[in-house]
Amino acid sequence: MADFFKRYRAEAGVILLIVLTGYAVFAFLVESMRIFADLPEKDPVTIHEARIAQLKGSLPPSGEVGYVTTVENDRIFAAEKAFRNVEYLAQYALTQYTLAPLIVRNSPELPLVVGNFLDGPPPPGFLERNGLVPLRDFGEGLILYRREIGR
Amino acid sequence: MILSYGASLLLSLIIGVLMTFIFVPSGNRKTAGILLRLFGGGGLGIGVTSCTYFICLLAGVDRYVAAVDLALGLVLGSICFLRRGKSDPRGQAGLSPGKTAPRSRLRDAIAFVFALELVAFALSLIVSILKEPHGRWDAWLIWNMHARFLYRGGDHWREAFASGLDWSHWDYPLLLPLSIARGWRYAGGEDVFFPAAIGFIFTLLVLGLLLAALSLLRSKPQGYLAAMILMGTPFFITMGASQFADIPFAFFVLATFVMLFLSGRSPENRAGSLILAGIAAGLSAWTKNEGLLFALIVTFIPVGMTAKAGGWRRAISPAGWFLAGLLPILALVVCFKTQLSPTNDIMAGVGPAAVSSRLLDWGRYAEIIKAFFITGISFTQGVIDIRTGMTLNPGAVSVLLLVLYLGLTGVRIEERDRGSTLQVAAVLGLMPAGYFLVYVMTPLDLNWHLMTSLNRPLLQLWPSAVFVVFMVAGIPRETFFTGGKPAEALSPKADRAFPKRRKGRKAKE
Repeated sequence: MADFFKRYRAEAGVILLIVLTGYAVFAFLVESMRIFADLPEKDPVTIHEARIAQLKGSLPPSGEVGYVTTVENDRIFAAEKAFRNVEYLAQYALTQYTLAPLIVRNSPELPLVVGNFLDGPPPPGFLERNGLVPLRDFGEGLILYRREIGR
Repeated sequence: MILSYGASLLLSLIIGVLMTFIFVPSGNRKTAGILLRLFGGGGLGIGVTSCTYFICLLAGVDRYVAAVDLALGLVLGSICFLRRGKSDPRGQAGLSPGKTAPRSRLRDAIAFVFALELVAFALSLIVSILKEPHGRWDAWLIWNMHARFLYRGGDHWREAFASGLDWSHWDYPLLLPLSIARGWRYAGGEDVFFPAAIGFIFTLLVLGLLLAALSLLRSKPQGYLAAMILMGTPFFITMGASQFADIPFAFFVLATFVMLFLSGRSPENRAGSLILAGIAAGLSAWTKNEGLLFALIVTFIPVGMTAKAGGWRRAISPAGWFLAGLLPILALVVCFKTQLSPTNDIMAGVGPAAVSSRLLDWGRYAEIIKAFFITGISFTQGVIDIRTGMTLNPGAVSVLLLVLYLGLTGVRIEERDRGSTLQVAAVLGLMPAGYFLVYVMTPLDLNWHLMTSLNRPLLQLWPSAVFVVFMVAGIPRETFFTGGKPAEALSPKADRAFPKRRKGRKAKE
C-alpha cells in the first residue's frame, strides 16, 4: 500500500487538483447563472448615476459644490469606519463620481450645495443652521440648495 | 466607438509584442512561445502606452496620443525589422526539427477539462461584470473616478490631485486610470463598458501568461493545471470583474517573475529578459503603491543573492540590465509622486514617535498575525463581509490545495532554475513581510484596515505563488501524461524555446 501510494502520489495530486478546481469553477458558474437570472434591469450605480446626473444642467461644469445628506457631514466617514453604515459614503462618492470634474466637498459651507436624502431627511434644524435655501427639488430626495451667507 | 476602443487596445498589444521581439529576439515560435509574447506583451503594452499617454498629458498634447502611439509602434516595428534581417533565421525560429511532443488521451483529457473550465470561467466573469458594470466600491471611488477626472478635466486635469478629496486616494499611481482615459480619448467619448473591458482583459492576461509561461518553461499539462487553480479561485474572478488595480498589479508581478526565469534559462536573451523584467517591475509601481515595495525588493534580492553566490562583479551586469528597464518607468512614478500626488494617508501618519509606539505594541502583532492566518487560508473564496468580519473559509481552492499538491508531487527544482527559483521565492516571501510591517505601522484603525484590504494584497501575489509552485513541483512519472510513451515533451524545453543563436549559426555554417 505504501509502495502504491509512493508510486502514484503525484498522479493523485493531479487528479485531486482537477477534481477540486473543476468543482470550484462549475460551482461558481452555477452561482453566476443564478445571479444572471435575478439580475435587475439596471445596477444600483447606474440608477444612482442617472438620478444625480439630473443636477448637471443646474451646476457649473467645473469648480466646487457642497454636499449634505441624511446625517451630519462628519458622520458620513465615521459611520463607514465603524462598519455601521457604508451607504452614506457610497452615496457621497457616487455623487462625486457622477459630477466629476466638478468637485463635491463634504461640507455645507459652499455657495451651491447638493442635498442627497435617499435615506431620509437631514437632522432637524441642520439646513437652517447652515443657511441652506432650496433652489430646485429634483424629486427622490435630490435637492439643490443655495447657501445664504450670514444667516 | 467600439472600433476606436479596439484600435487603442490593438496598438497597445502591438507595441507590447514588438517589445518582446526586440528584447527577446530568439524566442519559441510554437504555440507556448507565441502565447507568451501575446499575453506578456499585451499587458506590458497597455502599461507602456499608459506611460506615453501620461507624457502626452504632461506635454499638453493628449489629443494626439493616437499619433504618438502609432509612431512608437512604427519605430519599434522598424527596429524589429532591422534586427530580424541581421539575425539567424534558425535562431529566430527556435525550433528543433523532429522533436514533437507525444500526445496521449490523458493529456488531451486535461486539455479538454481545461477548455471546459475556461468557458465556465469566462461566463462567470462576464456575469460578474454584467452584475456590476461600474465595478465594485474601489472602482468608482478611486480608479474609474480618477479616469473620469483625467478625461473630463481637459486642460485642467491636474487640479484633481490638489482637490483635497483625500478619501479618493489621489496619491495612487495612474496606470489603470490612464489606460481607461486613453481609451476614451481614442473613442472621443465615455463608455461604462471600457473600464470593464480593461478589467476583463487583464484577468485573461494573467491567466494566459501563467498558462503560456509554464507551458514553455515546464510542460503544457503543468500550464493547464496551474491555470485551473486560478480559474477555480472565486476571488480572482470577483476582483477581475471589480475593475480594481489588483489584477493588473498581479499581472506585472507575475510578468517580472516570468522574465526573471526566462533570463536564467536563456543566456543569449538574458539582457533583454532582464530589461523586460525591469519594465514589468516598474509598471507594477505605476499601478499600485505596493509596487514600490515590490520594485525595491525585486531589485535588491537578486543582486544580493547573485553577489553572495558569485561576487559583486557578477551581480553588476544583470542589475544594470534590470535597472535599464526599471528606471525609466520609475522616473515617471517619481515625477507623479513629486509633482502631482498628495501625501499618502498611511505615510502621513508616520512620525518617529507614532511609529515607535506602534512597533512596540505587541497586541498589534497578534491581531495582524491572526488576520494573516485567517485571510491567508480564506482569501481565495471571495470578498470579506465587513459586517460579519473575517471567518475561516478555505473552500475548494486555497493555499491549502497548493500545499497539498506540492506535498503529493514533491519538489524538483532543476539545476538551471535553482538561482531564479530562490530569488523569486525570496521576493515572494518578503512581500507579505513588507505588507505585515505596513499594517504594524498604519495610522488607520487596524481592524478596519485589515478587514478592508488584506485579502487583496494576498490575491496580488496569488498568480505568482501558483507559478512558483508549478515551477518547483515534481512532475508526475513521465509516462503519466503520455500514456506510457517516452515523454520528451515533459523534459523542460527551454533550450529549444530559447536556442543559443551562436549554436544556430554554427549549425547553419
